[in-house]
Amino acid sequence: MMKGRRREAMGLALVAPSFLFLLVFFIVPAVLLFVCSFWMAQAFKLIPAFTFDNYSRALSASGFYLLTWNALKNGLCTAVLTVGLSFPAAYFIVYRTRGNLLFYLILVSWFSSYLVRIYAWRVILGSNGLINTTLMQLGLISQPLEVLLFSPFATILTLTHIMLPFALLLLVSALRDVKKEYVEAARDLGASNTEVLTRVILPMCYKGLVGAFMFTFVISAGDFVTPQLLGGRDGMTTGILIANQFRTAGNWPFGAAMAFLLLAAFLIVYLGFVRLLDLLRLAPGRRFHD
Amino acid sequence: MLRIYVWLYVAFLYAPIAIITLFSFHSSPALTFPFEGVSLRWYAKIFSDATFMASLWNSVIVGASTALVTTILGSLTALGLARLKGRIQTLFGLLAFGPVALPGLFLGIALVMLFSQIGLQRSLVTIIIAHVLFTLPFFIEAVRSRIEYFDLSLEEAARDLGATPLQTFRLVTLPIIGPTIGGAAILSFALSFDEFIITVFVSGNDTTLPLTIWSMMRRAVSPDINAASVISLGLSIGLILIGGLLVWYQRRLALSARAKDMEA
Repeated sequence: MMKGRRREAMGLALVAPSFLFLLVFFIVPAVLLFVCSFWMAQAFKLIPAFTFDNYSRALSASGFYLLTWNALKNGLCTAVLTVGLSFPAAYFIVYRTRGNLLFYLILVSWFSSYLVRIYAWRVILGSNGLINTTLMQLGLISQPLEVLLFSPFATILTLTHIMLPFALLLLVSALRDVKKEYVEAARDLGASNTEVLTRVILPMCYKGLVGAFMFTFVISAGDFVTPQLLGGRDGMTTGILIANQFRTAGNWPFGAAMAFLLLAAFLIVYLGFVRLLDLLRLAPGRRFHD
Repeated sequence: MLRIYVWLYVAFLYAPIAIITLFSFHSSPALTFPFEGVSLRWYAKIFSDATFMASLWNSVIVGASTALVTTILGSLTALGLARLKGRIQTLFGLLAFGPVALPGLFLGIALVMLFSQIGLQRSLVTIIIAHVLFTLPFFIEAVRSRIEYFDLSLEEAARDLGATPLQTFRLVTLPIIGPTIGGAAILSFALSFDEFIITVFVSGNDTTLPLTIWSMMRRAVSPDINAASVISLGLSIGLILIGGLLVWYQRRLALSARAKDMEA
């Protein structure tokens, strides 16, 4: 008993530095940002106040809904594509290969810088880019296809490319918990391939599935660099609007209010996604709970 | 079928990187085929660019400092979590993962708000603070699974045999978790080296490599961005490979040592 208590005190002492760091540089700033969303800005100066003006200003502008819809659309399309494309690859890695070479090969590409990948897609999709010039040299088109670059399509393609390796990592570690024996047992009991997938594998890696989907969604819906560089005029998102408030001499309290509205929208998508899995009967039943 | 699909998946991941690398050696400024010839002129140009070299150096300083601070904080945390149980462990685990669960934009604006309110000038120091916040969750997650298997009774045995806490740490704990921590430290460096979204908000006059590449991208498209990109890619991927090999080699050494012990 004494030993256990001393061990716990030691544990608390060891995590204390990180806790302090997170308190000062994560919790305090987040709270400060929330408080500031009720302040006012005059001539680029912050004036402490308690007003809902920033929220009502955002919610009464039709542009805000449009830009938020763009952000959510980017996030949802990217998350569906990323998880959809990565799941078969994760399945292959976990059940069909023995070594880890393929897995590591994919993970290493995660470290090919984010900006460089955006730049690479701009080179490939641009009007003087690889695809357009190749198509023109082949005589298939006479004018460069402008829709390739500066469109939501370019944004979603690039974000998917950026998010794939990390989603794969999360899915592989989730699938590794679904032991081969369960799959074999289901087969022996006469389940078809589809049934094995929807009744055994997917419900058992539910947490990893939700994690990979939400992680991809939040990062890509909140991203402002990719839509700014590749999205064109129709690809403007709330993220860009928020970033502009803080980067150029903008209205910080207004930006803070929009950031919290965007987080609220993310929460709604999360609840919706969990509900959808429930309705599709892909959520684990009671018996799988710890 | 599935095998072909997976190789296509890998090809999709690497194709854009391969194309950029290829064109960084192109002798003409054109970013299209046919390829006219090989040259290192873009590399020569970028290496003589003072802004680029300064930002590369800044990135190395920021990456190394981030890795150092994250490794100290993260290792203590991981060792602490192994000693904690139940609700405190879960709660702290959630808190420590928080910074990654939010978009970088949110962290960036929250930090810039804090720095302006407490009057902290934006500099490389504020960038390092932001990067530690961003890399700490990855570090803890990477080290935690290894620490969970760590047998605390080994430390207790050493203490019972008369080792001081410091000796116990140096002779028992460190050799076991050392390779994992080394790998995670390299991971932190690589994540910091590539970080852009939060850095945009918290940087002052000194810029890091991604910030320089960003401003190059906003100016006219010039082929020396290809060379700059490849240098950035090469450094982070190279480091990750070295880190991976290190962990793999250490594990092999440990395994063969264990096999020898079994024979004896």
